[in-house]
Amino acid sequence: MIRMIVTACAAVFLLNISTVAAQQAPAGGEPLDGETLFATTCGWCHADGGREAGKGPKLAASERTDEFIVQRIKHGKEGAMPAFQGTYNDEQIAEILKYIRGLKDDPG
Amino acid sequence: MKITKPIARAATLAFAAGITITAVPGLAQTVDTARIEAGGGNDWPTYHGNYKSYHYSTLDQINSSNVKDLQVAWMHFPGRSTRGVQSQPIVADGVLYYTGSYSRVFALNGATGELIWSYFPELDDALVARQTHSPYNRGTAMGDGKLYVGTVDGRLIALDLKTGKPVWDTKLVNSQKVTVGFTGAPLFAKGTVVIGSQGGEWPGRGPIFGVDAATGKQKWQFLTAGGNDDDTAAKKTWGNDSWRTGGGGGWMPGTFDPATNAIWWGTANPGPLYDWSGTDYMTKGARPGDNLYTTSVIGLDVDTGALKFYHQELPHDAWDFDSAVGEFISIDRDGKQLMVHPNKSGFIFVYDRKDAKVENVWRLVDNINFVKDITPKGELIGRRDFTAGKQDEVLCPHISGGVSWNSGSYDPKNGLYYKLGQEWCMKLNVVKTAAITEPQAQLNIGANFSIAKPPNGEISGHLDARDPITGAKKWEVRFPEPPLSSVLSTAGNLVFVPDARGVIHAYNSLDGKELWSHNDGTGHQGGIVSYSAGGKQYVAVVAGFGGMATDDYSTQFGEPYKSMPKDTGALIVFGLK
Repeated sequence: MIRMIVTACAAVFLLNISTVAAQQAPAGGEPLDGETLFATTCGWCHADGGREAGKGPKLAASERTDEFIVQRIKHGKEGAMPAFQGTYNDEQIAEILKYIRGLKDDPG
Repeated sequence: MKITKPIARAATLAFAAGITITAVPGLAQTVDTARIEAGGGNDWPTYHGNYKSYHYSTLDQINSSNVKDLQVAWMHFPGRSTRGVQSQPIVADGVLYYTGSYSRVFALNGATGELIWSYFPELDDALVARQTHSPYNRGTAMGDGKLYVGTVDGRLIALDLKTGKPVWDTKLVNSQKVTVGFTGAPLFAKGTVVIGSQGGEWPGRGPIFGVDAATGKQKWQFLTAGGNDDDTAAKKTWGNDSWRTGGGGGWMPGTFDPATNAIWWGTANPGPLYDWSGTDYMTKGARPGDNLYTTSVIGLDVDTGALKFYHQELPHDAWDFDSAVGEFISIDRDGKQLMVHPNKSGFIFVYDRKDAKVENVWRLVDNINFVKDITPKGELIGRRDFTAGKQDEVLCPHISGGVSWNSGSYDPKNGLYYKLGQEWCMKLNVVKTAAITEPQAQLNIGANFSIAKPPNGEISGHLDARDPITGAKKWEVRFPEPPLSSVLSTAGNLVFVPDARGVIHAYNSLDGKELWSHNDGTGHQGGIVSYSAGGKQYVAVVAGFGGMATDDYSTQFGEPYKSMPKDTGALIVFGLK
């Protein structure tokens, strides 16, 4: 089922990628940096801005590859994380990845 | 927004949706407004038991003397239980109806668990994959020979009560655009089916709908963010036209008061969840002003949807302590007709039933610091309105609330209100964000946060037995982790509490002494009812963990939550040996 959803999403994404990019400006009109995007949509589950485990895993010092993180943001995980590829374009997802990679790991 | 599909499509939908019919009950009698109003006895014909919303059974075959002999009578597994099972069953004429995730509906023989029919709607899976508060479903309504269920892709569906075949299927919300739909149960009253959309931190306008039960046609809509189009006064409570992305909604079913012809409904929070206005919230921040009709209790004419009265429990809610809890308990005392409603913050509001004038406010939980207090007249004292940045002091309660969206129970025989309270707080860093509406709406939190212990203690939960009007406490039972399910009390002097670890407890309703318990094998976070079938009393509870509140339990409490699956669940039905 997940594969079917991902395939369907990917098809829609490819069809709409040019228009999606043009429509990405939020209501305020300002381009959003990764930190702001994270606090808009991610901070409920990835606790303390991704510095702690919460509903979702801790992201600071994640050993996951960039490719894994990007794919997870795009496609989500059934029952655990929504898919964001319909909302965020590649540039914005790259901004979120940059924010995650910049998190300082605080084991305490 | 409104697209009504032709009723003629029903037969096609029956095949597309995968209906199974193995038997026809043939015993169902008419369930109408009068029967729901009188509800109780053998049945549980609406989400809250009857319109008085007591979550109380008048049955006493199972009682404090013999509850030790309670055992599992039968079970049912809904399957595909992504994020557990959160449904409140309803019962009429010996048939139990309940839902699983993805709005899968089951009609079961209440005595044996034998399947009578099932209905699995075909949903927009790509949309579901984008949603946060999904794909769980919290129940159904019945009336006019039909069973009604909402879907996370914005539809309200009517099924024939006897066969499960679709009668109509009405698209009410453009979920593909606003991303949210329906997870809560509908309410049936006087030929109208009322259902409220999700909203809150999702930048829409949080509609509540009245739909003709016979035809499926929308009769009315009430927009909780800024009111309907002609309501200029409400829009003035949103600076910078922020009502356009205001959130709101009313995702849990309220109730109907025949005396005023009004449905009472609780509305959700404004978005973003957290604001950075500081104390100048009337002129600064993301949504300057009081933000009507979010975090409010509203009374709507059931026939027209016209606003008859309202009270905003938290003007300019900057904490996500909304009013979406659907529990409205009708109690008459000392010549007054009162309505009791829990706010998510852990304050309990008591209203005059004719006009929502505040009669009293009392606190159920200890750890509240978003205000210093709320007066008995409903005035907020010592608000904490944040500016952007890390907050030095934790915010209490936690975003999961001082109370859950699930319901407590009122025993009219002894006058006690049994309600679960939650003691927890959160570290908060407020961040300025902007609403995203294109190409689809996205949630707008406005903060990063994490769960935290209360300043003077550990995280915990408690079952309180209190006077519902004054809040005077008679007894309490403490739990190491907050239970999140609904509570049931019965005329057998019993209170049932399904806890988060998976144990269902029965207490003596007079003194809180535990009389019986049973491990259901996984956590509870949904409904519990009692009914009679074939002359025998049963208690039915759903088990199955997962969702926005419960997903924190693994990290916070470790085992058994760390190993607890979030994709399974069951309906467990108990009877005497």
